[in-house]
Amino acid sequence: MDTTRLKLFRLLIGKSIAETVFVALLAISFFFTAFPPYFHGFGEATPDSISGWAVNNRAPWDRVEVQLFIDDRFVASGVANLSRPDVQQAGWAQDEWHGFSFPVANIGVGGHEASVYAVHKSGGGIRRTLQLLGYPIRFSVDENGKLTDLVDRGPQNK
Amino acid sequence: MNQEGGRLKEAANYDVDRSLALWEIVSVITSCLIAEWVITAVAGASNLLIIVPIIFAFGFMFRSHRLRGESLREIGFRLDNFGKAARLLILPMVVESVILIGIGYFYSSIDFFRWRGGGAILGMPLLGIAWGLVQQYALQGFINRRTQIVWGPGLVSILIVAALFAGFHLPNPALMAATFVGGLVWAFVYQRAPNLFALAISHGLMTWILISTVPSSLLHSLRVGYKFIG
Repeated sequence: MDTTRLKLFRLLIGKSIAETVFVALLAISFFFTAFPPYFHGFGEATPDSISGWAVNNRAPWDRVEVQLFIDDRFVASGVANLSRPDVQQAGWAQDEWHGFSFPVANIGVGGHEASVYAVHKSGGGIRRTLQLLGYPIRFSVDENGKLTDLVDRGPQNK
Repeated sequence: MNQEGGRLKEAANYDVDRSLALWEIVSVITSCLIAEWVITAVAGASNLLIIVPIIFAFGFMFRSHRLRGESLREIGFRLDNFGKAARLLILPMVVESVILIGIGYFYSSIDFFRWRGGGAILGMPLLGIAWGLVQQYALQGFINRRTQIVWGPGLVSILIVAALFAGFHLPNPALMAATFVGGLVWAFVYQRAPNLFALAISHGLMTWILISTVPSSLLHSLRVGYKFIG
């Protein structure tokens, strides 16, 4: 390969590497903008609701918008602003007002799975992403409409 | 023996040239796709980051011309063959204009002053010509020249240039159809009379006629790439 062709070959390699690095940086930057790792939370099934808490560690005084999905279907949206002194005592939040509770009614008897997501806006508000808080909550509903949490959280978390 | 060796070396160089030219085409396509699809998707259509792949592409094309020893004149920045290129362009432009005006008449959407009310930069004929020069340089001055290295002058390279030009306007169906037809004509004319100024004027005028006749709803405000769906 003569010098000119070799230079062109190197130029092409260089451009490919530069573009790969550029797109990788864009992708990483996009991921941390759209899905920032600042949200923490927890959810569980109580006899008549799906309840829990959500905190944005980057803005600990903000109230996090949350959405409930049951069996992968949107059910309700709300803001985690209910009193949860236990969350503050455990050191997860700066204040106690980070709880949420979604009453669950009109749901079929049997096993279900609920997921609670923190809603995050980015790109000047044009983009909204959901981040799962904790783990999906498996629960069952009896004939009286009462919920039973089926998630095994281990002996220390019961 | 020496003659045989020389022929083999020539054949090998020819293959290397073709491979490099093909890679060059792919490289410029990649930059366009990054600008149209990746940046608009992750950073927004108005983000200044869009300049980065454009700089990569144009910087690469300029350097490639230098390495291959291509002069501005060879690329098509010249006036001596302007008349020949213009003569080749007139008939297809008239035919296309008649078809577009027919479409506009059918939809009752003819308005040659539409650009005044809109903000679309391509609607303004003069800026359309300037923008056309940039596009025609990349499409003909670079891609057409490289496709001729790979596939030779003629129908195959013309079809590939037109298909690539339409592909840059994905997924806007009306614009893809229009750019494919335009791409065929411009690639054909460039191979016979490489004059980018004539092509740029034709590009600007045809863009103006296109947006003045075809309903905006069909053209989707000339949106392409992720902007079209985002």
